[in-house]
Amino acid sequence: MSELATTLRVDHITKRFGDFTAVEDLSFELKAGRVFGFLGPNGAGKTTTIRMIVGITAPDEGRIELFGETMSSKLQDRIGYLPEERGLYKKMKIVDQLRYFAALKNVPANVAEKRIDRWLERLGLGAWKDKKTTDLSKGMQQKIQFISTVLHDPDLLILDEPFSGLDPVNVEFMIEVLSEFRDQHKTLIFSTHLMETAERLCHDIILINKSRKVVGGSLREVKASYGKNLIALRVTGGDAVLNDRAIVARVDEHADEMYVELTDGVDPQLLLKRLIDSGAHISKFEQVEPTLNDIFIELVGGSEAETPVLAGGAHAA
Amino acid sequence: MRKFLAVVKHEYKKIVLKWTFLIGTLLFPLLGAGFAIVPALIFSLKGEPTRLVVVDPTGEIGPRLKENLSADKIAARARAAAEDALKELNATQDEKLRSGTSQLASGFQFVEMDTAGRSPEQLREELNLRAASDQIDAYLLIPPDIDAKDAKFEFRSRKAGDFVANDTIKDALNAAVRSQRLADANISENVLKDINRTVAFDSKSISEKGEEKDGDSLFLASLVIGMMIYISLTIYGQVIMGAVVEEKETRIAEILFSSARPFDLMFGKLVGVGLAGLTQLSIWVGSLVAIGIFLSTQAEMAPFLGALPNVTPLMIAYFFAYFIVGYFTYAAIFALIGSMVTTVQEGGQFAFPPIMIMLIGFYFGFAVIRDPNSTLSFWVSISPFFAPLTMPIRILAEMPPFWEIALSLGINALAIAGLVWLASRVYRVGMLMYGKRATIPEVLKWIRQA
Repeated sequence: MSELATTLRVDHITKRFGDFTAVEDLSFELKAGRVFGFLGPNGAGKTTTIRMIVGITAPDEGRIELFGETMSSKLQDRIGYLPEERGLYKKMKIVDQLRYFAALKNVPANVAEKRIDRWLERLGLGAWKDKKTTDLSKGMQQKIQFISTVLHDPDLLILDEPFSGLDPVNVEFMIEVLSEFRDQHKTLIFSTHLMETAERLCHDIILINKSRKVVGGSLREVKASYGKNLIALRVTGGDAVLNDRAIVARVDEHADEMYVELTDGVDPQLLLKRLIDSGAHISKFEQVEPTLNDIFIELVGGSEAETPVLAGGAHAA
Repeated sequence: MRKFLAVVKHEYKKIVLKWTFLIGTLLFPLLGAGFAIVPALIFSLKGEPTRLVVVDPTGEIGPRLKENLSADKIAARARAAAEDALKELNATQDEKLRSGTSQLASGFQFVEMDTAGRSPEQLREELNLRAASDQIDAYLLIPPDIDAKDAKFEFRSRKAGDFVANDTIKDALNAAVRSQRLADANISENVLKDINRTVAFDSKSISEKGEEKDGDSLFLASLVIGMMIYISLTIYGQVIMGAVVEEKETRIAEILFSSARPFDLMFGKLVGVGLAGLTQLSIWVGSLVAIGIFLSTQAEMAPFLGALPNVTPLMIAYFFAYFIVGYFTYAAIFALIGSMVTTVQEGGQFAFPPIMIMLIGFYFGFAVIRDPNSTLSFWVSISPFFAPLTMPIRILAEMPPFWEIALSLGINALAIAGLVWLASRVYRVGMLMYGKRATIPEVLKWIRQA
């Protein structure tokens, strides 16, 4: 694959509301065809940043560049934005709402008409075209909102907590739909607190907390740099080795196995060798990669910020 | 521009394609017509004729009374009363109602009764019995000497609430007694008619150009115009506020703001709803004009039409111009309020100040009718907020010089530009603030910072 174009460049942006700094000196870059996880606890500045990217507000300092141009209202037509707080007109027919949202993105009426029919069929809502919002379940409304985000076939899709309110079947279905966007080399930005989902979908992540970037980069890099030398261990004996603070920093006992955190700079091989030498019986020895959840908790957990919902993390302490 | 038009179209269709719009459009003229026609219809439902016994010891009043109560005479008097009512616009509603409905009174049926040799007490007793047993409806006892100091005409009726019949009998009796007295005084009735004839009082106002114009129905027409503008401004102002709050409440604003410029969204909303208002107003004015043209072809309506103020196409153009001016003034205020609050109910409380201002403007209208060329009339008809409600009335009463209208429109256009600017600053910040209502200091901060 040839060198990917830069979709989005956020260059040292700062946004203040009076005395409160919502986003401070934030920079990151995003290549076409990548899925980007925008992570952070509530109140960290995610929504403020996204609002600047989609051109709802402008940064006080710094610059946002989209598709190689400085952000302007013209570029809004190439972005699809599904806000976390979203809604529909209550008493209006579904099809009329979708037509309106398409018109606001400069989609010609005849094109919009075809796309509306195709998407409604695709998401199994064809029969609801002429119904009003109040006749739809919450999950159906979520899907309609998603359709309104993609009707103009955007090159950059920004989804703020896209799966909240969807049942697991529909979450899988949405992930499938989003994968297609990725395959078409469109860029996706996810803002979520579901670390498991982020881990599964994202190539790149950025974690922000208290208005500032905490960590960012490709998922692999981030995980590698926060790898804590964690070993999942099922063992009988070897207590002396495990109590040696020179190699083992900490031990978490779980039901039938334990998580052993090695002291910085210690090679896992050394632990294995010492355990064997001590005559302990080892039935499991596995080097564990930190989950995003672990990284999140380590980097954010110490702050007063609200901790995220823990979704299937291995050993949340 | 295309997005702006999309917003305009969206807002317009949202209102006009609703059945409530159709009903509202038809209801207003129907209500107006209803207030004029329904009471007349109800009173035109004729009751049974009143069966009346007249006990007349004099033998002179009775026949005169019977003649006065004949169908021909009643109709003739009603016609005279109706003609008076049309000229006399100061007549109170009550008087008009009575004079109008007297012609609709049911007829009278005289029941003969032999009264010879019975005392008034006996007669009363018997007549009361007959009334109770539904043989008669009413009776009238005429005193033996109508000129005696304590002479009393006793009228007793089962239908005491039928004021139309009572008044008719009273009038007929008065007329009968008067003509009897005249006859007693040897004055012929024709002579008296000549003496009593009222003067013809033709009241017209003089315009500044020295032309005569009919001032009679001006008050009524001004009231209708003032009401029409006041009501449409209130309704469409609230519509704007509702639409703004809905987009804020449902969080649609966030999606909209990521698609189009806030100014296009807000101004498009104002224009779209405004066009819906203009559509409705055009239907109303159009139907008024159509009715006017239809009536002018009916010969017997000519005297009534002659009393209407002369409305020229230029005046109608000015009315529309001032509707638009008023609409944008108040719609901008309502949009501003809508983006401050979190629910429609909350907005309702904040709608009070602009509605109060409109109401004051409406009342200034009365001062303008009384004296369209006063200093007060000049100032209120060029000032922002009040001009939309007072200038149309002033134009109707007395076309002011063109420069005054131009000045008024110019000042108001500037005020609108300021208000829309202010509203759009509050709108772009307020629409994304969820959870709580903004305080005034916060709003001022938004205006400075946005």
